[in-house]
Amino acid sequence: MNELRELARKLLGDGTVKVVIGYEEGPRGVRPAMITDPAQAERLVFDARCVHNLATYLNPRRPHLARLGKPAVVVKGCDARAVAGMIRESQVKREDVVIVGVRCGGVVRDPTMKAALAPETVSPRCGHCASREPKLFDHLLGALPPAPPRPAGDDPVARVEQMPLPERWAFWKEELSRCVRCHACREVCPMCFCAACVADKSRPQWIETSSTPRANLSWQLTRVMHMAGRCAGCGECTRACPSHIPLSLILAHVARHVERRFGYQVDDDPSIPAPIGAFKTDDSQEFIL
Amino acid sequence: MKTKCISRADLAALVADLAAAGTEVVAPVKSRDGRALDYRRIGRLEEAALGEVALPRRSLKELFLPASEVLLRYRLEKDDVAIEEVPATFPPLVILGAKPCDAAGVEVLDKVMGWDYRDEPWFARRAATTIVSLACPGVDGVCFCSAVGLSPDATKGADVLLVPAEGGFVAEAITPRGEALLASKRFAEGEMPVEAQAARAAAKEKVARNLPAQPTGFHDWLGERFDHAAFKDIAQRCHGCGACASVCPTCHCFDIVDEPEGLDRGARRRNWDSCATCKFTLHASGHNPRATQNERFRQRVMHKFSIYPRRFGEVLCSGCGRCVRACPAGMDLPEILGQLFRDAGGAR
Repeated sequence: MNELRELARKLLGDGTVKVVIGYEEGPRGVRPAMITDPAQAERLVFDARCVHNLATYLNPRRPHLARLGKPAVVVKGCDARAVAGMIRESQVKREDVVIVGVRCGGVVRDPTMKAALAPETVSPRCGHCASREPKLFDHLLGALPPAPPRPAGDDPVARVEQMPLPERWAFWKEELSRCVRCHACREVCPMCFCAACVADKSRPQWIETSSTPRANLSWQLTRVMHMAGRCAGCGECTRACPSHIPLSLILAHVARHVERRFGYQVDDDPSIPAPIGAFKTDDSQEFIL
Repeated sequence: MKTKCISRADLAALVADLAAAGTEVVAPVKSRDGRALDYRRIGRLEEAALGEVALPRRSLKELFLPASEVLLRYRLEKDDVAIEEVPATFPPLVILGAKPCDAAGVEVLDKVMGWDYRDEPWFARRAATTIVSLACPGVDGVCFCSAVGLSPDATKGADVLLVPAEGGFVAEAITPRGEALLASKRFAEGEMPVEAQAARAAAKEKVARNLPAQPTGFHDWLGERFDHAAFKDIAQRCHGCGACASVCPTCHCFDIVDEPEGLDRGARRRNWDSCATCKFTLHASGHNPRATQNERFRQRVMHKFSIYPRRFGEVLCSGCGRCVRACPAGMDLPEILGQLFRDAGGAR
């Protein structure tokens, strides 16, 4: 923690960056903090409650942050995948951000929980984490903590994948029936950076804005397909959903498809092209994703 | 007000009576994964989770203002458009075990829904509905109903208030509609036991510790402080996702759209909208008068604590705290209010 605060103080003090995007202790658990004054670097914390993917604050749709000036951002290994995604897709220039990587031992499900990692409290996405240490960074902090405990219960992605089709359809129909089309999933997503989202277009209108079964399915499937090979797997969409729709399940399912068909896993090396933006002569042609 | 009492068994019988008479019953029900509650239709009392302290994920608002609602249907004819009205008639509904903050939110919204234009679907649903609140023990450290003039046993918006007691509930009729419900043979004569009174007082005290009450004249004070320092960088961490508005019992902004349902026909719908989102004030020209998230969040605070109370005499917030619990970024309305309350108190 001292290492992090000292680095922030230095980066702000010598003018390398104008804002450090990190975590602070809020009134109820940990939350994102934008530190612009070196004297405020004391506020920064990092522990197992740092659930949020702060890479999303680099998204060009946030002019109120861009006007603060050059940022440094605190990222876990998983979050670094989103920074890499934005660099890969020309939304962020590598030299325009200072990446402060932190070695991570897993996070809890919710930033208001205690920082104690146990099978019942650990975030499902940390279960098989292979990126506890980011490869994309300017500074890498902390010692590598022990691996997080495996989440309790079955793998929820596999559970849905193993459902017979009619049951799986019923499952998603029920889950998506609660969607109110607020698009919170999109707004928190680091990889949703389109200046004009297809869901907002009205001439022509590709997707109705009403939360009818058809429109909900159109919206969520469109978003999921657009995320194929791009989703960093941070789960912020699921955490933001006011209707608690387990969007991560379908995103993880699509990620497994992409891996199977294209041998590609979303990575924090921005020089590796994603299948959606690259052509290879030996690409799988079984179906068009 | 005269009180009655009802055992759990008799309450179950009442639910069965209502269902048999064609009245729909809505109550907090556990979600499939058991982790959350939703207000949902029940057929039997056993389906309800009345003993749960937590708030349902979304408020009661959607039972009166659905997330998406058909206002009318249209059909294109040769030289004309034929309009098909959607009847604003609704079956009788009893909401059992409403959180007092949710019931209050509905009454707050009556003001705007009946203001310059009387919103027929809203008031038709209101007229068909009996709200039976259940006194709340205080959910957690976020609750701030007492700061906005309510309490965990507030009766605002409720037709009946239930207070848990040994083996069942004490029931207090608040409105004539509540009295009509209490006329059922399932209710027996009974007084409010001392323990139940004590629990109500303890809940009030517990919630009151979370945030001091709003200072007198706060809405006028706030209305003159559009450029208050607190608003300058208020929403740096805010994603503009609008999750707060979706779960809010009093956020009521909507958008109206015409959507085709075939080549020659369609429906006019109104859908929830939120001032927290970028598109809310985006002009066709591309100009956005609320250019960044800071201005949008200020609007949220201003509408709730200055604009609405100045126009309608009450704040557009029932202190349920859902916005805090739902926020993925840790935006904290009571924290912001605490700052502003202190400032407003000090200014006098």
